[in-house]
Amino acid sequence: MASDITLYWGSGSPFAMRAMMSLEEKGLSGYTSKQITFDKNEHKSDEYLKLNPRGQVPTFKHGDVIVNESLAICLYLERTFKGQGTTLIPDEAGQQALVLQRAVESDNIQSKAFVNMVYYFFTTKAEDRDEALLEEKAKAVREELQIWEGYLAKQGDGSYIAGKDFTLADITLFPFLATLVRMGLRLEGRFPHLASYHEKLKERPSVKASWPPHWKGTTGPGWLNVV
Amino acid sequence: LYWGSGSVPCWRPMICLEEKGLSGYNSKLVSFEKKEHKSDEIMTLNPRGQVPTFKHGDVVVNESMAICLYLENTFKNQGTKLLPDDPAQLGLVLQRMIETQNIMEKNNALVYYKYLTKREEWDEGFIAEKKKALAEELPLWEKYLAQYGEGSNIAGQDFTMADVCLVPALAFLVRMQLPLKERFPLLASYYERVKERPSVKAAWPPHWKDTTGPDHLKDVF
Repeated sequence: MASDITLYWGSGSPFAMRAMMSLEEKGLSGYTSKQITFDKNEHKSDEYLKLNPRGQVPTFKHGDVIVNESLAICLYLERTFKGQGTTLIPDEAGQQALVLQRAVESDNIQSKAFVNMVYYFFTTKAEDRDEALLEEKAKAVREELQIWEGYLAKQGDGSYIAGKDFTLADITLFPFLATLVRMGLRLEGRFPHLASYHEKLKERPSVKASWPPHWKGTTGPGWLNVV
Repeated sequence: LYWGSGSVPCWRPMICLEEKGLSGYNSKLVSFEKKEHKSDEIMTLNPRGQVPTFKHGDVVVNESMAICLYLENTFKNQGTKLLPDDPAQLGLVLQRMIETQNIMEKNNALVYYKYLTKREEWDEGFIAEKKKALAEELPLWEKYLAQYGEGSNIAGQDFTMADVCLVPALAFLVRMQLPLKERFPLLASYYERVKERPSVKAAWPPHWKDTTGPDHLKDVF
């Protein structure tokens, strides 16, 4: 039941967004929502570290069951609430294989776009950023996005990342995409399928319900204009 | 299954296949040195040109954890039960399973750097930072084991998907000469025990059998 569920999350965390989208898709909108503020270091409080020793978001509680790691939360929800809401992992072997692969494959976006690039902007002062290095990083991001553009193109116009239906693979992908766009990534022109996918999913109820509050009515940094 | 010797991501589905009673699978070892992971055969199935690459009839699954999840779902009723039904157990197994990626990320940051950079060009500051990250990761896993006591597996009494994902990572650290025994007695005895598990032995990297690995992690602490 939704009332037994608590999610600790941070605004702008794509990982938190995944968990929130899963909850919405499984018809568990009534969960207890606890927003953690990074600025106030709430994620490093003693109370929070007891739930998640890594001091990260999201942290998920279902009764006495605690699950951390966004993909683990999504898998837990799909297995535990299998009979309700959207089917996020299909039963048919071929479909399931594709969904699972794409879901884990999104790690490539995490490492190339976030760890390698976004993190560089966070940790390096503007005056110290090396243009040549940035272009190298941007190239890797472009190549990775091209792969996902290809996946969507293959599925056909109007489809989701693993076929005709919205699945776990969209839950793991979309928050990354949305965050990159927020940080200045421009999809129009070069990534037409990703652009229309992004526009379409932005309107999905589970996405709207999970949209980072501080993004509403503001623009993000234009860091990824360079991609 | 297409796989490479010593690759942690390959090792996980291999353990999984053994645990699910599918030992008779077609095992296709590729050589990284000869760039066989970029062969046409593999690129057709996996455009990223990576291993593990897995085929079940016409179904292709790439990505180590995706293969493991697929196997557990598809062969649910045979072999070892790798994902428990009990919600509390399930939650823990899934979390630990995904959490093992922290070990590999920190290991790779240090080991790949040392492997790809000439010794005389090593940035000592960078290395110190990466050593610290890995040194802080392991106590978490020692604590996780402590919850269940001597003789247990990482998420409780039973061997689960969490162990399938952890064991190769831990073995890789030991291979890189990380001094496990000195600092982490529970992890060390866990390692000694799971090494002997049939599925783990069957999947042990062939070229590790009579050789020692490079000492990239000898001085992590």
